[in-house]
Amino acid sequence: VRLFRLLLLAYPPRFRHRYRRDLESAFEQTRREPRHAGAGGRVRFWGFIVRDLAAAAARLWLRQISSRGHPSLPTQPSRNEMDTIIQDVSYALRQFVRRPGFAAVGILSLGLAIGANSLIYGLVQGFVLHPFPYPDPDRLVAVGVGFPRLSNDRRYVEVLSPAEYADIKSLRSFGPAAAFDLGNRNISGGDVPERVFTALLLDDLFPVIGMAPQLGRGFTHEELVSGGAPVAIISNRLWHTRFGGDSGIVGRSVRIGGQSTTVVGVMPPGLILIGTDLWLPWGENTDAVPRNRRQFTVVARLRPGASIAAANSELATLAGRTDQSHRGQFKEYEGWSLTAAPWAAALLEDMRPAAFLMLGAVGLVLLIACANLAHLFLARSTTRQRELAVRLALGAGRWRIARHVLTETVLLALAGGVAGVVLAAAGIRGATSLLPAQLQMLDLHAAIDTRVLLWSLGLAVATGVLVGMVPAFQATRTDPHESLKIDGRGGLGRGGARLRNALVVAEVALSVALLLGAGLLMRTFINIQRVDPGFEPRGVLTMRLTLPRDRYAGEAGNVFFDALLERLAALPQVRAASASLQYPPMAAFDIQVKVERSESANEAAIPSALITVTTPRYFEALRVPMRSGRSFSATDSLNAPLVAIVNQAFVERFLGGGEPIGRRIALGSPDRPRPWTTIVGVAADHRNAGATRSVRPEVYTPVRQQTDWNQLFLMVRSDGNAAALLTSVRDAIESLDPEQPVYLVRTLEAAVAESSFQQSMAALLLSIFAAVALALAAIGIFGVLSYSVSARTQEIGVRIAVGAEPRHVRWLVVRQVLLLTGVGLAIGAGLVLAGGRVLTGLLFGVEVADPATLVTAGAVLGTVALAAAWLPALRATRIDPIRALRME
Amino acid sequence: MPKRPLSLSVLHIMLALAGGAKHGYAIKQDVEARTDGGIRLGPGTLYEAIQRLEEGGLIAEASGRTDPGNGQEAQRRYYKLTDRGWNILRTEIRQLGLVVDQARLHARLRKGLA
Repeated sequence: VRLFRLLLLAYPPRFRHRYRRDLESAFEQTRREPRHAGAGGRVRFWGFIVRDLAAAAARLWLRQISSRGHPSLPTQPSRNEMDTIIQDVSYALRQFVRRPGFAAVGILSLGLAIGANSLIYGLVQGFVLHPFPYPDPDRLVAVGVGFPRLSNDRRYVEVLSPAEYADIKSLRSFGPAAAFDLGNRNISGGDVPERVFTALLLDDLFPVIGMAPQLGRGFTHEELVSGGAPVAIISNRLWHTRFGGDSGIVGRSVRIGGQSTTVVGVMPPGLILIGTDLWLPWGENTDAVPRNRRQFTVVARLRPGASIAAANSELATLAGRTDQSHRGQFKEYEGWSLTAAPWAAALLEDMRPAAFLMLGAVGLVLLIACANLAHLFLARSTTRQRELAVRLALGAGRWRIARHVLTETVLLALAGGVAGVVLAAAGIRGATSLLPAQLQMLDLHAAIDTRVLLWSLGLAVATGVLVGMVPAFQATRTDPHESLKIDGRGGLGRGGARLRNALVVAEVALSVALLLGAGLLMRTFINIQRVDPGFEPRGVLTMRLTLPRDRYAGEAGNVFFDALLERLAALPQVRAASASLQYPPMAAFDIQVKVERSESANEAAIPSALITVTTPRYFEALRVPMRSGRSFSATDSLNAPLVAIVNQAFVERFLGGGEPIGRRIALGSPDRPRPWTTIVGVAADHRNAGATRSVRPEVYTPVRQQTDWNQLFLMVRSDGNAAALLTSVRDAIESLDPEQPVYLVRTLEAAVAESSFQQSMAALLLSIFAAVALALAAIGIFGVLSYSVSARTQEIGVRIAVGAEPRHVRWLVVRQVLLLTGVGLAIGAGLVLAGGRVLTGLLFGVEVADPATLVTAGAVLGTVALAAAWLPALRATRIDPIRALRME
Repeated sequence: MPKRPLSLSVLHIMLALAGGAKHGYAIKQDVEARTDGGIRLGPGTLYEAIQRLEEGGLIAEASGRTDPGNGQEAQRRYYKLTDRGWNILRTEIRQLGLVVDQARLHARLRKGLA
């Protein structure tokens, strides 16, 4: 009885209180029944009690929930809910078994559609929405900066100076904060030296991102301030690849950048910070760093209770204050702004439009699959019309019948969902490898995780309900009198035909939307390919070298690069070799420019240009022609007068189109001495800010006139296959310095292709989706027309009997197709025009309302629709009038 | 009036009460006996149905006990049909009778009916 009392807790309180004693007594008496004697009897008894309890409790709770306290009449279906659900499910399963082909088609098509959705969601989620393993990632923010006097961009990475960071971290909205400078450090010792992507920290990063070392410890305060003992924390990856996962690594001393450094910690696996593998204290005295030496990325965790909005308003106040106090010295502060954004958004922001577009597009494919399946169910429910009518006549509730259909579709969709997740899991690795190296470098990964599973589950249920809604609605509207009265051949009547047509229109409209999207993106992609970059990407191999400062101090670096370029140029297959700070389409640095004898100081924007520091044969390696003057030469050395080359855009923007050769410019921030530099040449414009952006003014200066540059990209042009050069280039480097690694090895062509990765990926995926959509729509059109032809057999038979010619009959069918397709086309085009905003950001050289694309999409769709209508039309003309009439 | 037919178990409970006021377990025994064990009401099912019938005003607690008892028996509640309950039961039975009459007209169904 004690146990039974405990079980009573399963009942709603009201019921329990009222009948407790009666329940207990009935329980007691049931137990004393002779059949419940003995061990077997006791088992039977408890089985009975538990079953009874589950059934009654479920019913009571349901009643309580559904009536919300209103007492209900004893007129509800007496079977309890659980039984009903089990019944519905087993009914649905019986249907599947009875028509395995039907179920297979349904599961397969939904599986493909849901699988595609899961895959895209997995990618978007892994790369765009939740790329980082930090706890509470939305509370981790980056502080970005915009200098309207310099450019329109708002940037988050390597944009702030230590002084600015100190101001920011004192704000009340921020809890722990850290700033880091990204760089590369050589780890030596062992067989080969290795370049490691490194973050140099001001303040402790790890509490900010909310992660702690897996081995050893984090940095101490003393280690983080300048002059602290040299210490390092390494990534799990580095620990395994370089130190063999040796747990004795903590406390050991390794050489990093030529300095003996103690490893104090190893981080857990996974992405910690933009793909860095090594974390070091920045180590220098920040007081000496001027306010405009902006090389730090600032991250902070919002203090509990503080919102991003609050942080932003504090940042705005701070920006205003700094503007007031420092504008005199640093003009760029005028109107500058600071903003906080979630770390993931700040780092990967520009991928969001493409990501959401893909999610939307793949969602449309699922909708089309839904429409198709709904149509299949509709067709089937027609054949079951009489069965439904009989059940209705016998008093089955309409809701109950609708539920049959819904249970069936939801089950089918769930099975499809399982199939889809399996497909997505199989495909996600392959899909990841399609992503460009710049993303892979971040060491992000996408996987089918809990979030993706939940998403897929939600999609499957929604799909099931959506698919089931139409036939369920239809089922509830079945009029038993009508259906039973007529001979059973009758279809769904007018309402049914309208529903079917609506489904086709919806499919066509969605397909049109996808077709248009795919068409526009394909045109964008072609336009980008067609853009003359102004340089020749084919045949160039690039890679990066970083000379350690300790061994290549002063001019030693320049000597090394000179010698290397000489050796490379001597190779028979090499046409030109150069070394430079970066190469297009990589983002070059901005530098402030002052032109001699110009009034630029009064302009609203501080003049700035891109700067590329390079060696003499840069323009030859890129095949960029010189417009006037000369290229750099070996005589432009440390002691020679400073020289620069500018591009045509620079001449137009800053020199008013006048004679540029011989004009003098000053480069850099006005707070530092800026010697005059003479322009000696003008290079032809080439796309230096990406293929889709206009050419920006750019200045080129010779590497050899400075000693600052120890980290340069090599560009080696060959006659043939660029990648084949790698071995000989490596040999040349090794012959000069066997300890010097190269990294970021890529052909220029690949680098250029990657710069329009979003567009090419979007074009590719949307084309695939559009093709699938077209196929589905064609199947839908075919199904609906076949059905309508067979439903109109008599009518068509009569027409043929009274002398209609085949072309008249064909026209009957074709007219229906054209009507449906036309309406769908109009709606789909309207959808795209209305929602075109999503697309605009990704398009290049083409408008959303592009007549050519529209006409093409219409033509493709029309062709497919007519092709799908062909067989039904043919069948219509072959109807035997005698037989058709005899069916009466 | 109920819009839908009463369920079988509810009908049986009402039938049991038609024979006089009874307490819960007595109802269960009566139903079980009349259906040859075909319907076995567990405590939960039984009182869930009783609650519904009570709230619907089809049965009510009997004021006087007609079943003499002692100890535990004394604490038990007895139920009887209300006027409304009688009416609904009558209508229901009449309708069921109609169904059965109709069913007898079909040869294949007749076999199963006496």
